[in-house]
Amino acid sequence: MIRVTVNGQERSWNARPGDTLLDALRREGFVGVKKGCGTGDCGACTILLNGRAVNACLVLAVKAEGGAVVTIEGIAQGGRLHPVQEAFLEAGAVQCGYCTPGMVLSAVSLLSHNPDPSEAEIREAISGNLCRCTGYVKQIAAIERAAARMRESR
Amino acid sequence: MAVHQVESIVRSTSIEEAWEQRRREPHASRFLAGGVDLVLYAPPGVSTLIDLSGLGIDGVRRDGDDLVIGAMATLTDVLESSLVGKATDGFLPRVLRQVASPLQRNVATIGGAVVRAHPWSDVVPALLVLDARLDVFDGEERTVDLADARGRSEEPFLLVLAVRIPTAQRGVRAAFEKFSRTGFDVATLNCACSARMECGVCRDARVAIGGTPSVARRLPRAEEALVGKSLTASVMATVAQAAVLEIDARDDRRATAAYRRRLADVGVRRCLAALAGKKEPGPE
Repeated sequence: MIRVTVNGQERSWNARPGDTLLDALRREGFVGVKKGCGTGDCGACTILLNGRAVNACLVLAVKAEGGAVVTIEGIAQGGRLHPVQEAFLEAGAVQCGYCTPGMVLSAVSLLSHNPDPSEAEIREAISGNLCRCTGYVKQIAAIERAAARMRESR
Repeated sequence: MAVHQVESIVRSTSIEEAWEQRRREPHASRFLAGGVDLVLYAPPGVSTLIDLSGLGIDGVRRDGDDLVIGAMATLTDVLESSLVGKATDGFLPRVLRQVASPLQRNVATIGGAVVRAHPWSDVVPALLVLDARLDVFDGEERTVDLADARGRSEEPFLLVLAVRIPTAQRGVRAAFEKFSRTGFDVATLNCACSARMECGVCRDARVAIGGTPSVARRLPRAEEALVGKSLTASVMATVAQAAVLEIDARDDRRATAAYRRRLADVGVRRCLAALAGKKEPGPE
């Protein structure tokens, strides 16, 4: 039995010892955690574990025991999208959408630790999230826009 | 994907207990640090994982003149540590920023990196030129050379407690070069150099090259060519050529041996140029 807080709610899972967080979260219905490569290369399964963005496919579920997980389903507050989600929509940073949850969570993690990142720091922060549609220009613009908006609202 | 053969995960409350649990099942158990490698390269026949979380071996601290990095510190913990940045003059954070992606660095541990010691590891050559040693437990606590831990996830296994970096020597400079297809990709070849500079002359030189495609090792003949010399373009070229002759360059799917020798030449000269405070490498 694994006890973990997911998106602010305490949960107990009957995960198998060899299950990854990706396996466990998707089985529990958090399908915004996308299953891509399964080898930590694509970043589609990015989640926040104790405030840090990680590949859910490379973390055994037991490592989350007593910890806090945030998935893409958990960042909107009171029916309002997270500023990073809003900025992605406004900047046209969503293409097919498969990479978007992971990309958004990497950005959320970055901005929580660094509210005013340079473009280079944004590029580094999303370097583990692959987009195969068009590239990264609009995503970077969206993250810059979200960062500015979040700073203004403080 | 799930690691199907794992049947149990054991949490130890002390280093001695973790060691005993591992000793009881030498073939069927492994220590679990960040777990990245265990998920990617699940060793056959391993059914028990001994989780090292909670043993208190994850902080960064000073111990006299040594910088001590707990084995369970993630690469991000190390990268962001002001103690590490100050003690290594920014060298180790600069190297770690080139390892994998932030997503993996947030999970992978420094202890896992030195035990697994993949041929392409960027961590190993960086630690080699810093003269890093390891605090380990194998029935008793002791300190061993970095090379002693390679591949020691199997018998005769070691429980790595910390990476210990001496910082007493003043004026040590270090530089690192990685060649890969993208920043995210593993190294086709990597190179690290360090030297203690005394009135413009190199002392205690260290040259290490990895991804040859073997794991990094120090190159004594290249180091010899550097000791007692000033960092002129001709000295850099001589040291680089010594390194080229000393590495065991071989073909694999990433590069040919000839290409790797070329990378080694360029990598050493770039590192030495950085030690000299020059932005560009010396003339080729």
